[in-house]
Amino acid sequence: MKYFTKKIPTLIAILATLALALLAPLSGCANASDAVSQDKLTVTATTTMLGDLVKNISGDAVSVRTLMGPGLDPHTYQASAGDVTLMQEADIVVYNGLHLEGKMGDVFSALSESGRDIICIADGLDETRLLSSEEAGGTVDPHIWFDVSIWTDAAAYLADRLSQIDPDHADQYNENLQTYTAELEDLDAYIRQRTEELTPAQRVLITAHDAFRYFGAAYGYEVQGLQGISTSAEAGTADVSHLAAFIAEHSIGAIFLETSVPTKSIEALQAATEACGFSVDIGGTLYSDSLGDAASGCDTYISTFKANIDTIVDGLKGGGTDD
Amino acid sequence: MLNTLLTDYTFQTVALGAALLGLVSGVLGSFAVLRRQSLLGDGVSHAALPGVVAAFLMTGSKNTETLLAGALATGLLGTLLITAITRRSRVKFDSALAIVMSVFFGGGLVLLTLSQRIPNANQAGLNRFIYGQASALLQRDVVLMVICGVVLLSVILLFWKEFKLLCFDPQYATTLGRSTGFWSLLLSFLTVLAIIIGLQTVGVVLMSAMLITPAVAARLWCRQLWSMVTLSAVFGAVSGVIGTAASSLISQLPTGPTIVICVSAIALVSLFIAPGRGILARALNRSRGRARLVMERRDGHGPID
Amino acid sequence: MTDFAVRVQDLTVAYDAQPVLWDIDLEIPRSSLVAIVGPNGAGKSTLLKAMLGLLKPVTGGVTFPSGLSKHDIGYVPQSENVDWDFPTTALDVVLMGRYGHLGLVRRPKKADRVLALSCLGKVGMAAHRDRQIAELSGGQQQRVFLARALCQEANIYFMDEPFKGVDTVTEKTIVALLQELKAAGKTVIVVHHDLQTVPDYFDWVALINMQLIDAGPVSEVFHAENLSRTYRGAMPPLKGAV
Repeated sequence: MKYFTKKIPTLIAILATLALALLAPLSGCANASDAVSQDKLTVTATTTMLGDLVKNISGDAVSVRTLMGPGLDPHTYQASAGDVTLMQEADIVVYNGLHLEGKMGDVFSALSESGRDIICIADGLDETRLLSSEEAGGTVDPHIWFDVSIWTDAAAYLADRLSQIDPDHADQYNENLQTYTAELEDLDAYIRQRTEELTPAQRVLITAHDAFRYFGAAYGYEVQGLQGISTSAEAGTADVSHLAAFIAEHSIGAIFLETSVPTKSIEALQAATEACGFSVDIGGTLYSDSLGDAASGCDTYISTFKANIDTIVDGLKGGGTDD
Repeated sequence: MLNTLLTDYTFQTVALGAALLGLVSGVLGSFAVLRRQSLLGDGVSHAALPGVVAAFLMTGSKNTETLLAGALATGLLGTLLITAITRRSRVKFDSALAIVMSVFFGGGLVLLTLSQRIPNANQAGLNRFIYGQASALLQRDVVLMVICGVVLLSVILLFWKEFKLLCFDPQYATTLGRSTGFWSLLLSFLTVLAIIIGLQTVGVVLMSAMLITPAVAARLWCRQLWSMVTLSAVFGAVSGVIGTAASSLISQLPTGPTIVICVSAIALVSLFIAPGRGILARALNRSRGRARLVMERRDGHGPID
Repeated sequence: MTDFAVRVQDLTVAYDAQPVLWDIDLEIPRSSLVAIVGPNGAGKSTLLKAMLGLLKPVTGGVTFPSGLSKHDIGYVPQSENVDWDFPTTALDVVLMGRYGHLGLVRRPKKADRVLALSCLGKVGMAAHRDRQIAELSGGQQQRVFLARALCQEANIYFMDEPFKGVDTVTEKTIVALLQELKAAGKTVIVVHHDLQTVPDYFDWVALINMQLIDAGPVSEVFHAENLSRTYRGAMPPLKGAV
């Protein structure tokens, strides 16, 4: 008996390890949004933006599932075994490309090799409109959805591919595309109209990472991010100091948090700017790498973008104060 | 340029935090290395990860103090488990460490994946604890580090004799009536506290380097415990400051890893040039000794003259 | 009865389920030089460690006279059990003998240092006081441990094979020290490996082979019959036994 009591700690450790090993597959439980019905095609989209786009183009012709929920970071998202199963069970998989889903590249190659229908949105875009990153390595900035006109092209590409895969509903897809394109044009106009409320000097957007360069290029804002294009890089102290100095120099009204990125870096930036003698406000939280959730009423691309531009303009108009 | 660096707010904040981290881990690391428990830091820092995530899952708070409290809890639990396993079974220290470390860290990664599904989990920056986010240190964080550091160093100074005895000859300590179990656990707890202090700066993975490296470097230069501990603290603090300086002068250079590279460089150099115990010194001694033997033999001396 | 230095009753010690000491009853008188002898693996070191409280017995216990505190008990271990790479000097190690008297928070004072130095002198190591312990030979390390125990100014001394691996000069020094201690009224209990020297160095002996074979004054107990019972044929040749 004494033999066993001595072994108890070791036994507990082994059992705990086994328990955790068994728990791991459970973490891959699906983030199901629609019920699967047998006669419709199933589409699995990676990001909330893509999920929304598919819904708008396809209407009720297909059933859509989104892998990542609101507030999740696609740059660092690691697909669990459950996620891979979701994608394998779907008829069509839609992903952004350009390494936005940074840790899922292998999964996509494996899926395309297995002969499934894969739609990579980046493939359907005009290469000349893509921005390359400032960093070495010549990577392309993947945050394409921040330029509404590029997103309109993406919608057209999606409709086109869906029609190829599912010709029975081609008319429906095209009709939806027309309607949605009109809505997107309205959104674009709204953004420009609100931007007019800011003086050119006020149009500087400071965020946690470089997600908004397409937005800046399309609508005339200077954009600076603390981290690089991917959130997996760590900002160095030099980056914080330089950006703080920049903000103080240009008397920028507000800096912005993001829903899918840690808030601490922005708080540190604010403190550093204070030390430069300039008090900058935190203008609000922007939806950068994901849409909002149903609770906040911003779970579509259009409503999210509207919320973003409102936050940006209202924040920058407020203006910071010199100490 | 140096002047602008030294007056820069971010540099001052981060450098102070990094220096504290280096100092405290240099001190506690010396004891860990001398007790042949160098990897304890590794085990405990990995065990801290599930605590950070669990604290977020349970309270929903992104507050650093809350997350670090969670890290402290699981760090202590891991230490207790390692001690219990080593004492009560035939499993040796390094195996017990490996078991606890992999179970806890694996558990932490599972929890991290689970937390991905919670909206706004990313705003808490949970996975930042794996590699550190030194540049995001706030004054509030540094104040906490100072308080913990002062407490730690006071306890070490107060009970210096007891810790020294415990590390050198625990059996003798027992015969004097000291409870080695209690003092050993206390030292381990202090080590956990030191790790929690440093977690934000260099992260879980690199923390063990901060505990081991300055101590190993200092050992090569010193002959007494108090000088070894002091030099180890100095090496750690200096690396913290230099690492932060480098990260402040060069863009996109992450602070945590730079600090670790700095302290490793110090250790590597010490390994070579330390008088008496360094590689060069030993090679020199050996060749001189041999040359002298050759000469003595040639002069017709006996072996032990 | 405070005539005894230490009393052992019904002591049984086992490693896992293997008995090493079985039902030992022993009462060691004060102011004596005691040898504990027996074959290898007989449990001699184990008996010492049990008396020091380093091992937990399965049954039975060890009693010291009332009023004796832990730092009145000095321990000179075998030198293999210590980390010799520790950064410390010979004097520093000897100074540790004062820790019991100093209590938890206080630091060694000048008087403690003077005492430590004189203890080093008694074992002939005063010249080596600032040397790293790693640089000392086996015999020198043994002497440092002895000095540490002396520095404790204990009442009872437990020594684990102090004569093992030392040269003749050192052996003579240690024997002289033991005589000094006895003259001062201290008790010294030694695990001893060399049967030849038992009658010369010690006045009391305990014969152990897992059980207590016999114990008492050397003149009464240290004879061929007891020795053959203790060693059961594994005995080295002996001269001078009664």
